[in-house]
Amino acid sequence: MGGPAYDCLTNPLGAVRFSFVNALSSGYDPASSVGKDWGVVDLFRHYFSDESAISQVPILDSSSIKWVQPKTLVRFRGMIQDMLGNEFYAGAYKDDSTWRTNKYSDVSQFPEGSSTEIQVWERRLLYCVPVPGKNQWTECSSQELKNRFLDLTGQNREKRVRVDEEMTDSMDSSTLEAGRNGSPFKKMKVGEATSSASESQVPQTSGIPPATSADSLPCLVKIYDSPESDLKLNDVVEFLGVLTFDPIVMMDTDTLDENSDALSEAESVQMPSGKVPRLHCLIHRKLETQHFLHGSSLLPEPKSPQIFKEIRESLMKYLTGLLGNDHIAAQFLLLHLLSKVHGRVDNVAVGKLSLNLIHLNKESMSIFGTQLSGALKSLLPFTQSIPLTIEYLNTASFGPKKDYGINRLMPGVLQIADGTHLILDETELQPGTLNSVGVENANLLKNLLECQKVEYDFQYYKMEMATDVQMLIFSEGKSNIMPADLVLPLQPSQVNSLEVITPETAETWRCYLATCKSLSHSIGQELQQVVENDLVAARQTDRSLGSQDLSRLLTMARMMSVSYGETTLSLEHWQMVLELERLRKERLK
Amino acid sequence: MASDSSLGNTNDGPPSPGENVSSPIENTYSSPAALHRRRRGRSSTPTQFATPPPPPSRLASSNSTPPTSRPSAARSKGRNGHGGGGGGGGGGDPGTPMSTDEPLPSSDDGEEDGGDDTTPTFVWGTNISVQDVKSAIEMFVKHFREARENSDDLFREGKYMVSIRKVIEIEGEWIDVDAFDVFDYDPDLYNKMVRYPLEVLAIFDIVLMDIVSTINRLFEKHVQVRIFNLRTSTSMRNLNPSDIEKMISLKGMIIRSSSIIPEIREAVFRCLVCGYFSDPIIVDRGKISEPPTCLKQECMTKNSMTLVHNRCRFADKQIVRLQETPDEIPEGGTPHTVSLLLHDKLVDNGKPGDRIEVTGIYRAMTVRVGPAHRTVKSVFKTYIDCLHIKKASKLRMSAEDPMDVDNSLRRVDEDVELDEEKLRKFQELSKQPDIYERLSRSLAPNIWELDDVKKGLLCQLFGGNALNLASGANFRGDINILLVGDPGTSKSQLLQYIHKLSPRGIYTSGRGSSAVGLTAYVAKDPETGETVLESGALVLSDRGICCIDEFDKMSDSARSMLHEVMEQQTVSIAKAGIIASLNARTSVLACANPSGSRYNPRLSVIENIHLPPTLLSRFDLIYLILDKPDEQTDRRLAKHIVALHFENAESAQEEAIDITTLTTYVSYARKNIHPKLSDEAAEELTRGYVELRKAGKFAGSSKKVITATPRQIESLIRLSEALARMRFSEWVEKHDVDEAFRLLRVAMQQSATDHATGTIDMDLINTGVSASERMRRDTFASSIRDIALEKMQIGGSSMRLSELLEELKKHGGNINTEIHLHDVRKAVATLASEGFLVAEGDRIKRV
Repeated sequence: MGGPAYDCLTNPLGAVRFSFVNALSSGYDPASSVGKDWGVVDLFRHYFSDESAISQVPILDSSSIKWVQPKTLVRFRGMIQDMLGNEFYAGAYKDDSTWRTNKYSDVSQFPEGSSTEIQVWERRLLYCVPVPGKNQWTECSSQELKNRFLDLTGQNREKRVRVDEEMTDSMDSSTLEAGRNGSPFKKMKVGEATSSASESQVPQTSGIPPATSADSLPCLVKIYDSPESDLKLNDVVEFLGVLTFDPIVMMDTDTLDENSDALSEAESVQMPSGKVPRLHCLIHRKLETQHFLHGSSLLPEPKSPQIFKEIRESLMKYLTGLLGNDHIAAQFLLLHLLSKVHGRVDNVAVGKLSLNLIHLNKESMSIFGTQLSGALKSLLPFTQSIPLTIEYLNTASFGPKKDYGINRLMPGVLQIADGTHLILDETELQPGTLNSVGVENANLLKNLLECQKVEYDFQYYKMEMATDVQMLIFSEGKSNIMPADLVLPLQPSQVNSLEVITPETAETWRCYLATCKSLSHSIGQELQQVVENDLVAARQTDRSLGSQDLSRLLTMARMMSVSYGETTLSLEHWQMVLELERLRKERLK
Repeated sequence: MASDSSLGNTNDGPPSPGENVSSPIENTYSSPAALHRRRRGRSSTPTQFATPPPPPSRLASSNSTPPTSRPSAARSKGRNGHGGGGGGGGGGDPGTPMSTDEPLPSSDDGEEDGGDDTTPTFVWGTNISVQDVKSAIEMFVKHFREARENSDDLFREGKYMVSIRKVIEIEGEWIDVDAFDVFDYDPDLYNKMVRYPLEVLAIFDIVLMDIVSTINRLFEKHVQVRIFNLRTSTSMRNLNPSDIEKMISLKGMIIRSSSIIPEIREAVFRCLVCGYFSDPIIVDRGKISEPPTCLKQECMTKNSMTLVHNRCRFADKQIVRLQETPDEIPEGGTPHTVSLLLHDKLVDNGKPGDRIEVTGIYRAMTVRVGPAHRTVKSVFKTYIDCLHIKKASKLRMSAEDPMDVDNSLRRVDEDVELDEEKLRKFQELSKQPDIYERLSRSLAPNIWELDDVKKGLLCQLFGGNALNLASGANFRGDINILLVGDPGTSKSQLLQYIHKLSPRGIYTSGRGSSAVGLTAYVAKDPETGETVLESGALVLSDRGICCIDEFDKMSDSARSMLHEVMEQQTVSIAKAGIIASLNARTSVLACANPSGSRYNPRLSVIENIHLPPTLLSRFDLIYLILDKPDEQTDRRLAKHIVALHFENAESAQEEAIDITTLTTYVSYARKNIHPKLSDEAAEELTRGYVELRKAGKFAGSSKKVITATPRQIESLIRLSEALARMRFSEWVEKHDVDEAFRLLRVAMQQSATDHATGTIDMDLINTGVSASERMRRDTFASSIRDIALEKMQIGGSSMRLSELLEELKKHGGNINTEIHLHDVRKAVATLASEGFLVAEGDRIKRV
């Protein structure tokens, strides 16, 4: 493609058009292509092949929306909350025997009726929200970047845009567009004003998780040329694409008669562009924890077990301190933090390890619980906590529910991204009556714990969605509402004041957890025999051991092993697990 | 009805309709320019767009056009004369170019406008000749006969001529045309119809009108065509831009329907000044051109015309949203929806929650940004113009049983219809040699061991053939299974799983069920005061499986209700003035704990199960699931779990069939496969049965042990039929019978083992006492009699039981087992009942 005759960052549409012209000259036929990519994706993928280039792109959120220019390249990190189906658009049209394209833009750029040949292409609409329970540390670095970007582009932005526009075809009505969009900020105000009116009509379900509250910015992402199976509901994805606002302020909702309301996709009614920006996605990638880490990515591979061991020790020390010097509880907590579902057979989710810390009352909870949840917030990317009070259970909507009135999936508390950590505090639970909603919510929680599945209510039928959530339960006695894999009485010996950790340490620990979680795991032939024998022996002595208990032992073994950065199970670690289990059993007596 | 394809004049309009292209939505409009659109006739050029007056009626114009392409008409006539239905196109006929995939170059549309009056024989943008299509349709309507009608009634009227006459008679408004018929008769016409539905259907309507008017000149209604049953059905997910303006058919569930919207078709205006009424003005593309001045010559007042609502004509319109059915949604996706536009008679044809199959035309239209804006967005709204709606038939909704009306408990997966592809997959699956093993492996794959139990359950799912003899005797085809086992042996899980799997079924727990709750009860309707029957669990699971957990905890009265259900398959009610017999053709799957919560191997099975023998005998298979500490089993479990964790977890699952497939497989087999006994199998059955009965009389034994009863042979037949069904086989083979015997034996060995002799003993189940036990008692009684005869005088001194026991032990010769006091008591009671002696507390006396 030669040197870029455009700036991918500030004039991505210019790049799109440029490459379209190129593609046309090399025989690309819009009439038969059904909108297939003509090289734009490769172009951008090449441009953003390394992390540093990507980090130049501003991240779209509630603060950056105020200064990011429309029609520039932005990034959006979020969870796919709803899929709004496909949208047909006039992808290419002939303007005086030259083909033009509308791909990656919202507005039709042709004067009405002037074109005779139009190709209808399709794109997918995804409604994305910031990941529920996203912690502060995942974004702070992008904040700095924004400032840098703002400084950088603030000066030459105007000039550059103008140059670009002159360079691109003057027939192109984008100049007009840009002129109209010159002050997006003002536009947004108008959009917001009308949107608040329309929003009031949207039935708000009570108890929407705090994460989707006012200051978080949803985004309507339009996906091109991507197989359907690529992106799934609740995936955490980074989209890189062109930001647009609809040029026309939303019409009054009053003038909409029922007629058009029923046919129109309703998303424009509910999502005024001022409130919900549109992003025409050029490239996207699924996000893992390490993408949120600042500097380095992962720890070196298992070659250096010493490093793992050192970090593990320091983290263990920290966790032990948090739990009032209860070493065993800290061990279990670490294993719990490393758990993740890595396979499903029928209804069994392999690899889950929920932990129930018991013998906690309200007072001790206020000490350990708050300390612990604070600590987890700084260690894990997504954390949420649900206080289990009768009132909350009876009123909150846990499971997502489809609202056919507005044709949207209403989020529930349990619509969360994979890898989220969930704290359930049962110490707050008082005796009381659960109504039907409460019973349903309790069932949802139970199902989540047992099968790692959440039921989505589509009114006429229900659908189970697989999730991967780490659940930590605090309760006085063993929780019967939520049967966890591991039940452990907490036996703190002293109360420590919260240790202050340096950002560097926190970063290391985050990195450690992310790395360990991503490690693969296997078992040697010999040890497999040992494990089998041990399991058989355990079952021979205690008939009450079910397959779940045996499965849990193996999960713990895996976590133990990866916590030392090792990918194969060793006898030592297996015995450590058995010992831990023995200690736990002892405590339960 | 091809919404805008004309013919809005439904009741009294003149027979020549204008071309009322009405857009479904006010603030949007179908812009012909916006789409690569093939408008029929000449109404499609941009200039037309600017000039509102409606184009000349398509009807009139195409009638007046000189028939240019007669050759092809003649040809198809000739072909038809041979009586052949099919026959592809081709054949070097220049008049009918087939398979017009791509529209002609766009230069066409420029000329089209000018060539208006000469030969407008082509559908715009294509090289399809209007005349060709017209004559082909005429041929089809007039001459199509169904294949099964023999050639001897060649002079009978065609299928659709008959229906046209019928429509005229009942003054109907439409004719349903099966697309398969069209394809059979003329595949080329079918293809054209699917590709260019707007044009072809309009022509179809014209043809119908022509025919109608030849039959009955005075018939004023417009008969429209409704196509249904397309050869291919799309899924909502696969709709894409290339489907626009094509005829499609898809399935889905209605989730929302709007209220009925009156849509104006003809407007009448009145002059406010002089009171002059204008002629009806027909809606053109969703717009009515209001006359700027009064049309009366004398008045001519400007801006005086006002709409007179009650003289306008309106048509019904409704917008319905259709959503994908759950089985089409891929993992991690949400259901897609699509809007449907219903007109006239189709309105209110379905309500939310209905599953329907829709045939219609996929349309897209531009969206105006606001009602006041002329600019359009570059996106399109899509919808389906409905031609035909068919409610999905329910797989198990046979008309015979009225209880099915209660659909609140019907499961979603019940009415899954099979398309050809699925069917083929099933056929393939059923042909696999290890299908039986695979199915049993796929059944509750997370429950370990219990292979034979699973096989039994599988048989229950598939079921045998119910038989109704002319004499009125019924033989049930349902297989009843009882699981008895130690706590924690995943019985309930198995039950839950079967419940989930069975196409229809109820899960109840014995403890919470009352007799009426299980069968049916009579209640007074609070509003009308009438007595009504409410179905209980067993009636509701008619033709399904009723799973009863905690069978042993059930009250006796509730259990006794099951007697009738399990053999006669009906529930009889006689109370409160209602005497009824309801069908309850249900398989019962019950599970129970042993009476002492854990199985006591020292007690007999009957004593362990503690259920009335009459009920027990009605179970075809009784499985004892005992938790035996078995290292081998534990090792396998351990191996499995290790594999689960360290190998690719999915690979273990690979062979298993997923639950939805299994459900549909079972439903399909139950509905469509009705195996019969082959001679060989029947022979084997007889032989095996005789052998089974013989087995009781083992060598040198005089003990009469009845090992099998006629009930067992019925069970065996049912089991072997179920086994044949699994293979989709219409014949029960010998190996099915062998397997049935094995299953029975396995079940019996566990449940009917006489612990004294170790042989199979059906008496144990039927009477609660084993033959050897009976024999032992007999021996006992006779020795006591001997002793009594020896030691005691009639009316003489009494004897203590303990003394008697001592005596018995001394005699000991013919009693080889240990003797307990309670055995003696029992024997004494027997003798007492014979009037041989009298027992007074601890002492006995000879009488």
